[in-house]
Amino acid sequence: MSTTVTSEHGHPAVAWPPDAQYGSATPGKIGMWIFLLSDAFSFGALLIAEGILYAGHKPWRQPSEPELGIGFTAVLTFILLCTSLTNVLAWAAAADGRRKQAAQLLAITALGGAVFLVGQFQEWFGIWAPGLLHEGLVFGQSPRASTFYVITGYHGLHVLFGVAYILAILFGYLRGRVTERQIELLGLYWCFVDFVWVFVFSFVYLLPSLSGA
Amino acid sequence: MSKKIPARGPSAGHVPAARERGPYLVAFAVLVALTLVEMGVVKSGGIPHRAAVVALIAIATAKAALIALFYMHLRYETRILKLTVLAPLVAPAVYGLLLMLDAAWRHMR
Repeated sequence: MSTTVTSEHGHPAVAWPPDAQYGSATPGKIGMWIFLLSDAFSFGALLIAEGILYAGHKPWRQPSEPELGIGFTAVLTFILLCTSLTNVLAWAAAADGRRKQAAQLLAITALGGAVFLVGQFQEWFGIWAPGLLHEGLVFGQSPRASTFYVITGYHGLHVLFGVAYILAILFGYLRGRVTERQIELLGLYWCFVDFVWVFVFSFVYLLPSLSGA
Repeated sequence: MSKKIPARGPSAGHVPAARERGPYLVAFAVLVALTLVEMGVVKSGGIPHRAAVVALIAIATAKAALIALFYMHLRYETRILKLTVLAPLVAPAVYGLLLMLDAAWRHMR
């Protein structure tokens, strides 16, 4: 088994020795994992803060606040799961040299991310139906409302950045400036967005709904 | 210009099995099924509250593990890289567990 290091930007790429501990994982991959870990701590802090407020702050919610649309959010969850699949299949296609398929799958992934954002916009502000804001879930009026907007907004920013990241990688790939390694790094980021959403979905939407909170 | 270097340890880019679609599709099907189970736990209403809480947290953890292992290729990485990623995540999980136990204790008082 071997790794081929090709030249980029007119000069040879620097080859790194396979490491006894980290194998053939590139420094870029290890760096991305460290970044994602730090990001995971940010989300962890937000979710723990939500738990502290839920347990200790009375009242947790205003009586007039609407229930969260769990069914609608489950559809958004499904879309995000689909994009994780298309993203990793895009990497596999790129690694196999199926460039056209890889580009198509990356485009589908970006589209799925955009659909998720439209769904979140609908949930907050309303497009085809009233959003939570109009129904009375107002930031600052209760710990429930504030934590909801902060956590889902922070995640939404990650999705927004992820869509831009996918498009940047896609255009670079079409121009031949991006390799499957960079698509794999993109995949780590994008699937992390899904990884975090699993917990956001459970802790912000599902668990509070058990007690009607 | 190209230069060949040997790969002594695994990484997803060097594991042919990582390029096969089958495991990704299976993982996707399991993730969708687990999401449906989550919805069932919430909507059924017949499950005791504590059991439902434990079930939802366990399912979320299982889903996250599937994503990390399959879609983020962690299963193809070296043991050290796995530990580098997973070990620091244990601390916030423990904080979270303690918090939930504290909340449950206050709820019982």
